[in-house]
Parts: sequence; structure tokens; C-alpha cells
Amino acid sequence: MHKYKLMISALSLLASATLANAAEVTLWVRTSSGAVLQALAERYNATHPDKIVVTQITAEQMVPKLGAAIAGGAPPDGAVLDLIYLPTFAAADGLEDITDWVKGRPEASAMSPSHIRLATYEGKIYGVPALPDASIIAYNTELFEKAGLDPKKAPATLQEITESAKKIAALGDGTYGFYFVANSGSWLIYDFLPHLWAAGADILSEDGRAATVDTPALRETIAAYRDMWKAGAIHPTSRSGNGNNAVEAFASGKVGILMTGSYIVNLLTAKYPDVKFEVAPIPGPSGGASSFAGGDSLALMKGIDEEKKRIALDFVDFYMTPEQQVFITKEAGMPSRTDLAKEAYAKFDQRNLVAYDVLSKARTPYTFSSDELFVSRTGPFVNLVQGAIFGDDVDGSISKAQSDFTRILERTNP
Amino acid sequence: MGSVAKETTARSDDLELNKPEPEGWLGLLFMLPSIAFITGLFIIPLIMTIWMSFHNWPLLGRTKFVGLANYIELLGDSQLWHSLGFTLLYTGLVTAAIMMVAFPLALLVDRPLRLAGVFRTIYFMPVVIGFGAASTLWMWLLNPDSGVFAQILVGNGLVDKAPRPLESFWPALSIVILMVVWKTAGFTMVILLTGLQSIPGDVMEAAKIDGANALTRFRRITLPLMRNSFMLALVLNITSSMLAFDQFFIITQGGPENSTISAVFSIYLASFSSYRLGYGSAMSFALLVVLVAISSIQLTFMRQRPEES
Repeated sequence: MHKYKLMISALSLLASATLANAAEVTLWVRTSSGAVLQALAERYNATHPDKIVVTQITAEQMVPKLGAAIAGGAPPDGAVLDLIYLPTFAAADGLEDITDWVKGRPEASAMSPSHIRLATYEGKIYGVPALPDASIIAYNTELFEKAGLDPKKAPATLQEITESAKKIAALGDGTYGFYFVANSGSWLIYDFLPHLWAAGADILSEDGRAATVDTPALRETIAAYRDMWKAGAIHPTSRSGNGNNAVEAFASGKVGILMTGSYIVNLLTAKYPDVKFEVAPIPGPSGGASSFAGGDSLALMKGIDEEKKRIALDFVDFYMTPEQQVFITKEAGMPSRTDLAKEAYAKFDQRNLVAYDVLSKARTPYTFSSDELFVSRTGPFVNLVQGAIFGDDVDGSISKAQSDFTRILERTNP
Repeated sequence: MGSVAKETTARSDDLELNKPEPEGWLGLLFMLPSIAFITGLFIIPLIMTIWMSFHNWPLLGRTKFVGLANYIELLGDSQLWHSLGFTLLYTGLVTAAIMMVAFPLALLVDRPLRLAGVFRTIYFMPVVIGFGAASTLWMWLLNPDSGVFAQILVGNGLVDKAPRPLESFWPALSIVILMVVWKTAGFTMVILLTGLQSIPGDVMEAAKIDGANALTRFRRITLPLMRNSFMLALVLNITSSMLAFDQFFIITQGGPENSTISAVFSIYLASFSSYRLGYGSAMSFALLVVLVAISSIQLTFMRQRPEES
């Protein structure tokens, strides 16, 4: 009896000794990616002496909380956050430079270019892609057929989208041609900006320091959207929608074309297996294609100690292995690497490959004030789209957006 | 004899109690917990807010002393003035609406009927829901595609298309006021009810005997005697309406075209969308000054006794 007790206490002593040696690395992760990162951390922890501890943070609160934690001198060791915030944190000297490490990875050239661009500030790299996604369009092939359109051929220009949407809306019976989420900044940058990029235009300059709102591409895109709205081809909830109902509306079979993202394929096949749909890249006004490179990047906080830095980067190496990439694809719809299509998608819906192929062409606005310019419901970008598409004064909305953008940029440029 | 002696001692005890408290520190000790709370949760944050308002204080990066620059910018901030004007408009409308609903409700449930208690409970129930939860609930009720209101209206053939009140200003404001009345009228009703019930029955009876009809009794007795509960209800409603945030943040999200941004909402935007904590602090302090001014005017009214006016 005594012997057992001794053995148990010896074992527990041993266990606590190993625990004391093993370091814990804390990662803050936004809730939408929480489950996948948690699962990856568990897989890592099961095979490694060190521990990755994932703390989930509500998406909208990530920036204020992380900012407050950095200001208060008690940040986590790293964070997996929306890539669009990396320039802000890098410029504020909040992130750890990992340039050499990233460049030394064998898969360095297979990391989403937009994720690396956003993680780069003044020539140094501060982050790596974790869970990327890309915006695309989804269209209902049954409605295409009913409206006399070729379901095999995706609309290749915004002009074609407009014509298809009008034909589908003409079917009547509560059917609409087009659905986009117009009352949410994060949805609009995701689904609206790619039209401009596809035409080679952009709303911000390359370095994110100047506004270039008034472009022919923007005016053509707005004209097409206005045309659809006037014709009653756009689902009425688009205007006030914040994204809550978009997928349900499309899944109800009453919407022809939905502006959406790469996750839609797995979501629809899992939850609404009856919907017949195809996906395609987002076209420009008269051709071309682009996409918003979205999702999360992993960054380490400035001043992380060397041992924890080693563990955190070892965790990145771990999730970049082909085996874990397949797992990520299964859970999140897209792998972090762009060179693993065969392995990652072998068992999954091949429609996922559309978004995967477009990711290398996808862009993200490089900005130091994402929330104020784009995300805020009261910011100039949402007001531009609302005013120019649903309002009466296109010129006024565009010039107001240009001056609002400029005013904010002048104040926030680092 | 013995009992008389006891009485005398009791009297002298009373006399001793009436003497000035010799141990003043005891009173201070009893007050300490609340002083600690007020200092820690109000006075210190207030001083910090004022301190921050003199700085350019970004969420990330260095803070810089800028003197009165934030206050000067505040004077020329058209968005802020617009939101203050909107808040005053909202406060006026919602306070009137709450009073118009709560007072009849108070009169209705102030009856010696058995069911009165049940109705009091029913009217009071929405009050116990948090403002954020109630706003989220209404956001979904109002959803044009799957919301209950749309389903009922369209399902009964009352309208052809689901109403979309949040897409234009007056419908959006009206629906928020409707929600706030539903949510808070019960509380005002209870305050007014205490006023109603504090009116002595014999005064009413005397008036009846003197031949005053119901309307006269209401105007000459009920209203003047519940003046103080009216004032209390007004102060509470105006203060909470001036601080309105949740309902606009959640239901209208400031739209359409930034027309329903309340004063606190613009403080939120400056602090947590633009991450200008110094400017947000300056706005908060300015709003505090406005609120103190409004409340002190109201309290002056409240201090006057009914018979003086």
C-alpha cells in the first residue's frame, strides 16, 4: 500500500517537474478561428513537451484588447488576428520581427502573397498566414438554367453579372438576381473592392497613405450596382443587411448570385446539401478577376523571450506540415500554404479550388486605420457604398468619401 | 415604584443619545466603504479622464500633451454637434412618449382590483431585461426576412412587402422609441404609482364631499400632490435618454447615413473605432458638463414645494 502511495507521489512530482520545465506560449485568437486553432494547439501539445495555450477573443474586441494589453505591458506571446490589422500593430512597434525566420522556411514562397504583404512594414516581416480565406461569388445553377443562362459558364464580367441578375429577377415569385451585404464594412471590403482590383484600380495607394477613391473602375462598378438596384434585381435586404441572413437567403434558392467567400462551399454542402451551386472569382466591370485575401495571420508580440519565440515558431512549422494542412482545409476550407492543392483537397469538394487558385491574385487593403476607414458602420467606406448605390447623389458621395478618407489618413498615417 | 425608576433611567439614556456624538471617527468608519467605492470607481477615473483629455492619446503608440487642442477641435466637430442635437431630439420625444404611456398605465393599475397586481407585473416585466439584450431581441424581431413582425404583417396580408423601417430616419427613430417605451414605461409607471398611492384618501374624500368632479379632483389634487414623483420620473428618464447608446448601436447601428448617432455613440466611435482615447475623453467630459447642467436645473425645480409654486 505504502509503496503505491510513494510511487504515485513520485509520479506526480515528476509530472510537476516536467510541467515546470515546459514553457507555455499564450496565443490570442479571434473567436471565428478559435475552434481550429484550439484543435491545432491540442494536436501540438499532445506531441510536444511545451504547451500552446489558446485564448479566444471576440473579433471586434481583438484590436482594443490587444492594444490595451500592449499599452499595459502585459500582452500575450502572440496573436492570430485578421491580417488587415498587421500594418497598424507593426507600425506601432508592437510586433516581433521574424523576417529571417520566414525567409528561411522551405514553404516561404508558398505563403499567400497578400498575407506576407500585409505582414511587412518598412521591409521587415512580422507575421505568417494562419487561416486564409478568399472572397468569391456563388451562383445558383438551377436558377441560371431556369432563366435561360448557361450554368456551366460563370459570369466573367460585372456586366454579365448585371444581365444575369436581371434575367433571374424576371423569373418573379420572390426571386432576386443578386445579393451583397451592403451595411457592413468588413463584408464590403471583402466582396466589393475585388471589382476594383480586377480592373487594376484601388481605393488606397500602394503604401496605404493616400486615398484614390474616384477611379473609372469605381464609377463603372457603382453604375452596374445602381442599374441592378433600380431594376429590382438586388435582394432588398442587401441594403440594410449585416451578413446575418445572406447565406440563408441564398440557400433558400431564391437568390441567383451571392457575393461571398471561400467558406461557402463547405458551409453549403454541410448545412444545405440540396442547393445546386457553382463558385467563381469576382470579376471586374469589364473583365479580369480578383479576390480579397482575408483570414488570419499569426504574429508574435514585441519583446517575447527567445525560448517562447522558438516554441511559437515551432508551432507554425507544425501547422505548416502537409498533414496539419489537410486538417486545416477540412476544418476551415483553405490551407495556409498555396503549394498543397493535391494533398489538401484530395478528399474535399473540388469547388474549393476556385478560391484557392484565386488566392495568389487576391489583395487586401494595406492600411493603418482599417476600423475607421473601412470596418466602422459609420465610416466613409460604408457611407460611400450606401450613398452611391442606394442614394441619389453619386458624385457627391464619391467626393465626400475622397475628402473623408483623406482627412482620416492625414491624421492616422504613421 | 420600581417601574418608575426604570423609566427615569431610560429617559436619561435617551438624553445621553441626544448629546453630540463623541466619537466622530465612528461615522467616518461607516462611510469608508462607500467613500472607497466612489473614489476608486468615480473620482479617480474622472480625474484620469480629464487628464487624458489634455493629451493626444492613441490606443497604440506614444501619448502627447496637447493642452486644450481636443476641446478646440470639439467645438468645430460637426458630427458631434449633430449627434448632440439628435440626442436632444430623441430625449424629448422618448420622454414624452414614456410619460404618455406610463401615466395612464399607473392610473389603470392603481385600482383595488384583484387583477391589478397581475397587470403591474406584466407592465413591469420588460424593465428587468438588460438594454443590450432587449435591443438585440428587437433587432431580430424587426428582421425583414425572418423576423416575427414581418412574418405577422405579411402572413396576415396586412402588407405586401416586409417593412424595412431601419432604412430611413423617422421610421428608424420611431421604432427605437417604441422599443424603449416598451422596455422602460413599466419603471416610470411604478414611480408614478408610488406618487398616486401617497395621496391621502381623506383629501380625496373631502374634495368629493365639496362637490369636485373627477376631472377637477385629478387636476387640483392628484396632479399637484404627485409633483415630486413626476419630477423624479422626468430626471431619471431624461438622464438615461441623454446617455442612450445600446439601442442605436445595436438596432440602427447609427444608420441610415449616420443620422441616428447619439452623443455616447460618437464618444464610442472616437474612442474605439478611431482609437483616439484623448479626444473621446474630452467628449465624455463635455457630455458630463451638459448632463450636470440639465440635472441641476431639474433638481432646482424639484426642491420647490408644491405649495410654493
